[in-house]
Amino acid sequence: MERNESVKFVLPIVVVLIAIVSIVILGGLASGNPDGFEWSLFDYAEVAEPEGGFEGIWSFLGEGPVVDVITGVVGIVGVLLLGYLLFRLTSRRD
Amino acid sequence: MHVPDGPLPLWVYLVFLVVSLSILGISIRRISRKFDDRMVPYLGVLAAVIFAAQLVNFPLPPTSGHLVGSTLLAVMVGPFAAVVIMAQVLLVQAFYGDGGFLAYGVNLFNMGVFASFFGWFVALVLFKVFKRAIDEKAAVLIATTIASFMSTVASAFVLGLELLTVPGFGLEALIVIVVVHAFIGVGEAVLTFFILLYFIRAKPQLISFLSGSKTAEMAKVAEAPWASPQEAIPVTVVGGST
Repeated sequence: MERNESVKFVLPIVVVLIAIVSIVILGGLASGNPDGFEWSLFDYAEVAEPEGGFEGIWSFLGEGPVVDVITGVVGIVGVLLLGYLLFRLTSRRD
Repeated sequence: MHVPDGPLPLWVYLVFLVVSLSILGISIRRISRKFDDRMVPYLGVLAAVIFAAQLVNFPLPPTSGHLVGSTLLAVMVGPFAAVVIMAQVLLVQAFYGDGGFLAYGVNLFNMGVFASFFGWFVALVLFKVFKRAIDEKAAVLIATTIASFMSTVASAFVLGLELLTVPGFGLEALIVIVVVHAFIGVGEAVLTFFILLYFIRAKPQLISFLSGSKTAEMAKVAEAPWASPQEAIPVTVVGGST
């Protein structure tokens, strides 16, 4: 696996990921229902849901599909760079 | 499956924080220098794939689910690297308010440590069985798909056990959370199938179970034959062994 080959493989995947996430969120295809854990604990078992906790670094932007897409894309790129940095530090230089 | 800060007792959060961060440290040491730097972009993009897949929930009224991806990662790059990737994804998600910082250890244990090692082990056993009858690419695809379903259900069971420390969450709710995740597990299996199918066709060298894999060294868990995808399962027969 050559370096140029890996970049050529990775970049289209990132573009496709961003496109899919954008289409799903803007198209309203993602579910707004509570996930399995939240539903079982807070709805079924009726345990009180914690309030006033940390709502995320992007909470000042408000809510909405456009905000979700922007923050989602930033997150995808952020995770990619974080992964690249950590694995670069732990890799073997040939 | 992201636990927020608050519902669990403080001691549970702290115990899992210590356990999970210790295993994360061990995992980083285990994969360190076990792959060359040409692999780095691929490993980074796997983290991005998991993060993106967890951004959107698929509907399952009255609830919803999303891909966890630990079994997929464990089969591709090994359980130690899967823990490291899940740790990165969960850290960024904590900054996004999805799962708390105090709950980071609980979430890393459920979706990273337990799900990766359990899913890897189940997939390995199934892969060795299926490989006797079908070619190894089909075997890894079917084994990983089944293992991802089982890993989701088993992880939900572990999460349910942790939730028994919450007043009001009893055995009935434990059964409910497992049943709900059996349905979510089907979604996990479907997504795992298609994502792995893509990588099998586009870049089979990234899948540690396959012959000629570039990730086999970092995916090695133990020296014993049972831990190697290429070694046959030893079958003991009367009067000797094969």
